[in-house]
Amino acid sequence: MTRDHRKLRATVVALGLAVASAMQAVAVEWSAVSPAELEGEVTVWSWNIAAASLKKLVPPFNEIYPNVTVDVNMTGTNLQSRFLLSLSAGVGAPDISQLQLAEAQRYVRTGRMTDLTPVAQRYEKDFPASFWADCVYEGKVYAIPWDMGPCGVFYKRGLFARYGIDPNAIETWADYIEVGKQIRERSGGKTHMLFLGSGDMASLFEILLRQAGGQVFDDEGRIAIDSPQTRQVLDVLRAMIASGITADAMGWSHEFFASFQTDSVATYVSAVWFGGSIRDYAGNTHGDWGVFRLPAFESGGLRTSNLGGSVLVIPDQCARKEAAWAYVEFALCTHQAQLEQYRSFDLFPAYLPTHSDPFFDEPEPFYGGQCVRRLFSQDIERIPVLHRTRDWMEALRYIQQALSKWVANGMGNSNPFLDDLAQRLSRRLARPIAPEAP
Amino acid sequence: MTAPSSRVSRYRVERAITRALAYAFLLALAIVFVFPFYWLAISAFKSKDAIFALPPQFIPQPWQLENFARVFRETNLVRAFFNSSIIAAGHCALALFLCSLAGYAFAKFPRAPGRNALFAFVLGTMMIPGAVTLIPVFVVLCKLHAVNTYWAMIVPGTASAFGIFWMRQYTAESVHNDLLDAARIDGCSEFGIYWRIVVPVIKPAMAALGILQLMNVWNNLMWAFIVLRTESMYTLPLVIYLLNGEHRTPFELIMAASLVATLPLVIGFLVFQRYFIRGITAGAVKG
Amino acid sequence: MQHDVRKNRRDLMHRMWRHRHFYLFISPFFILFAVLGLYPLVFSFVLGFARWDGLTDIRWLGLANFENLIHDELFFTALWNTLIIGLLYIPPMFIGAFVFAVLLNASWLRMRGIFRAAFFLPSVTPMVVVAIVFSLLYGQEAGLLNYLIARVGAWLPGVEGKAVPWLVSEQWSKISVAILLVWRWTGYNMVLMLAGLQGISDEYYEAARIEGAGPLDRMRYITLPLMRPIFVFCSIMSLIGTVYMFDEVFVLTQGGPGTSSTNFGLYLFNTSFTDFKFGYASSMAYVVAAFVFVSSLTILRWRRASET
Repeated sequence: MTRDHRKLRATVVALGLAVASAMQAVAVEWSAVSPAELEGEVTVWSWNIAAASLKKLVPPFNEIYPNVTVDVNMTGTNLQSRFLLSLSAGVGAPDISQLQLAEAQRYVRTGRMTDLTPVAQRYEKDFPASFWADCVYEGKVYAIPWDMGPCGVFYKRGLFARYGIDPNAIETWADYIEVGKQIRERSGGKTHMLFLGSGDMASLFEILLRQAGGQVFDDEGRIAIDSPQTRQVLDVLRAMIASGITADAMGWSHEFFASFQTDSVATYVSAVWFGGSIRDYAGNTHGDWGVFRLPAFESGGLRTSNLGGSVLVIPDQCARKEAAWAYVEFALCTHQAQLEQYRSFDLFPAYLPTHSDPFFDEPEPFYGGQCVRRLFSQDIERIPVLHRTRDWMEALRYIQQALSKWVANGMGNSNPFLDDLAQRLSRRLARPIAPEAP
Repeated sequence: MTAPSSRVSRYRVERAITRALAYAFLLALAIVFVFPFYWLAISAFKSKDAIFALPPQFIPQPWQLENFARVFRETNLVRAFFNSSIIAAGHCALALFLCSLAGYAFAKFPRAPGRNALFAFVLGTMMIPGAVTLIPVFVVLCKLHAVNTYWAMIVPGTASAFGIFWMRQYTAESVHNDLLDAARIDGCSEFGIYWRIVVPVIKPAMAALGILQLMNVWNNLMWAFIVLRTESMYTLPLVIYLLNGEHRTPFELIMAASLVATLPLVIGFLVFQRYFIRGITAGAVKG
Repeated sequence: MQHDVRKNRRDLMHRMWRHRHFYLFISPFFILFAVLGLYPLVFSFVLGFARWDGLTDIRWLGLANFENLIHDELFFTALWNTLIIGLLYIPPMFIGAFVFAVLLNASWLRMRGIFRAAFFLPSVTPMVVVAIVFSLLYGQEAGLLNYLIARVGAWLPGVEGKAVPWLVSEQWSKISVAILLVWRWTGYNMVLMLAGLQGISDEYYEAARIEGAGPLDRMRYITLPLMRPIFVFCSIMSLIGTVYMFDEVFVLTQGGPGTSSTNFGLYLFNTSFTDFKFGYASSMAYVVAAFVFVSSLTILRWRRASET
């Protein structure tokens, strides 16, 4: 508290209306101090499982850096407000903060994060390109990837066996929909293939768009949603809903959680962390789960995508940047720490060297002995880059609303819909529409 | 049987029927209104599987008392309870005093120059949503070094436009002017009039305001999250909120903690509502 | 002339001095406002003419935010939804609160405290619980309400027991939100009205009873007129509450499906804290606040006019 007060007093001068004028980031002098000499106290904001994981890493970290104290504070995922306000007021932000991957760009682009390029550039090759892209702005590195969310389809083994379905035979989205119809028929209409609420389509849309290599924005920030890839995505969504295999409910509702334990829904198209949710809400279904790879758009196509994930940043208010970086580097860029986090807290490492560990090939009893870790790790470097802008969240919400209307109006022709959506996005976000790729 | 007595007995029967109907009506609706709270109470004793079971379990199978043990083990609920209590007590006491004083002034000094404009101004401050003033308010608190102190929770919102408006509306109708005039003639000081004449009459309104202010400050999450920074300062909603995970939420613990956190409000309500007794005003007028 | 002005000023000073206790009694509000509220108010107002994401430099735009507002369909959709939701829930909530207050004020009623607490419970039930319970009630295929509707449908030949798409249809989402609001806020208003009923002196009722007035006459000539300030208060608070409401909509529907249940409060929150468009949020907040302010003064004035 006394430290906070000193920080407060030091920055009082910068407050008032002047708060508004952003303080320009000063280039940090990264001095080479030996681990034993590095000192200071570092506060970290992170959310619960992740925070527990970061806490657990403190003792091994202190074996190398005995004089750096790390204080991990739990914060929530949804209330970004505290972090934003602290940055805005120029005081009270933590030395290290966790951010959702999808939100990283809006902070990275403000110049209020420490430029990590001199110390972090060398790790670029150790992370999937699609992830690294979210941490970089104008060639400078401002964040380090932490966990990621490679996608797959979770299914109920018992249910598939009962209706004589072979999950390995599902290669494309067309196959998936076909299987969905069979299950619906064989269960007498009782079992749906997946949850897809008309009010809750953004997640699946993002998974599919990324898998198809589509974009909302091109690399210059222009609206690029009106593309053959998006049309492909809409075709799949339309086919799913029209074939009657989707259950219309909100995600994460009571029905949604209850369905883990009943026969109402057969599969969940989601990311690796979803396994943790199932384990958590329906531990009694242990052993009945399996995972198959994301169906491709056409045979032989890419069978993975990404949803979710997070990064760590060091705000430029941080007074002990070397100590903060030492901890970030230890937690995110070492084999030992990343593996430990996956093993104990189910945080799928973005740090690629970890993926060669034999741990990835161990069978998992929860999934009936399947080696799901390797399955999720496959092709991870091939996940396409998704260009995110500072207004990504707004764009995604707007797209969600448009999709919902599209479904309510009978899912008409994709061309006029996308043309209209692109124009509206362009007006709303004040961005030009990208010229259609030849 | 004489005519009057039959009229009386018919009146009694009618009254009994009306009252029975009223009871039935209230009871039916009370069940509807209490249902979610009942759900909270039983969910606090369920395992997570059972919370989201279908068909829903109306009685926990089995009763899982462990949730409470885990909440108390994994969070510092006792400390949070203490913090919440201090903040709630300070806030409510200050708010009741300041709002009733200002409300009385606005209601009973009709000829004070600028009264209407000042009152319109008070009302106007209520129209500006917190979402747009959040950042600058936070900056001010930073300047005052109030971040991470009880003051940051207690003071903002004590002299609330809501409370002043409420007290003014209530005082205007229920405090009789002749009462005030009589006191002035007796040579009572202005503050004495407020304290000895007005406050006893407006007790029901203060009880209502007390209930609502208590509820607001006790449940305040957004602001607490922003200004309270160290775990030793956290309030109950904050501790409960921080149980939330990214994709995993320990609902069974949240339910148990919520039940513990909400019970004081229910008790607070039962205590405050004892002031809802008819006849206080009548007594004051006579006295 | 000069003399008159000076005399008037002295007169004013004199009158203000005579009412010094008025200023003294209301001063805590204004002092606290000056310390905590003035700067934020001015800052956010000025911000209405700028673009700001909270982190980088403020960029002055002049009136551009207000021009954008005129062409913002989402803004008008949000206002429209606010109006509809308000019309759907305020009348039943008001009537319910008043009926409860009158019944729970009756001296013959036993267990009054328990009943009062029961009706107030929804206001203190944590939002996370409300979210779970209402998603349980409103579920499309396995929801309790649809289950009841199906049972009633099977039972009564004339009634069609069709499942209602509570949260997943654009037509129903507002109604579902309104039902939640009635449930949550009736008890709150009941507490205010109950306190209001306490403020009516028993002497009025005694006098009326002596003159032979029945219960309906007493309601019409004593209770309703004397409760008017309380009704005015509840109306204005409901107006403000409806416009800026956020929690309930966020928890139940997140404003969807589509934008069908996005009210102004949610739109404002999204604009500021998910989109980081604080300038634009300020401009819309002040436009709406001006409207709410004028409406509130109208409600207050209506009361004064009918008083005389």
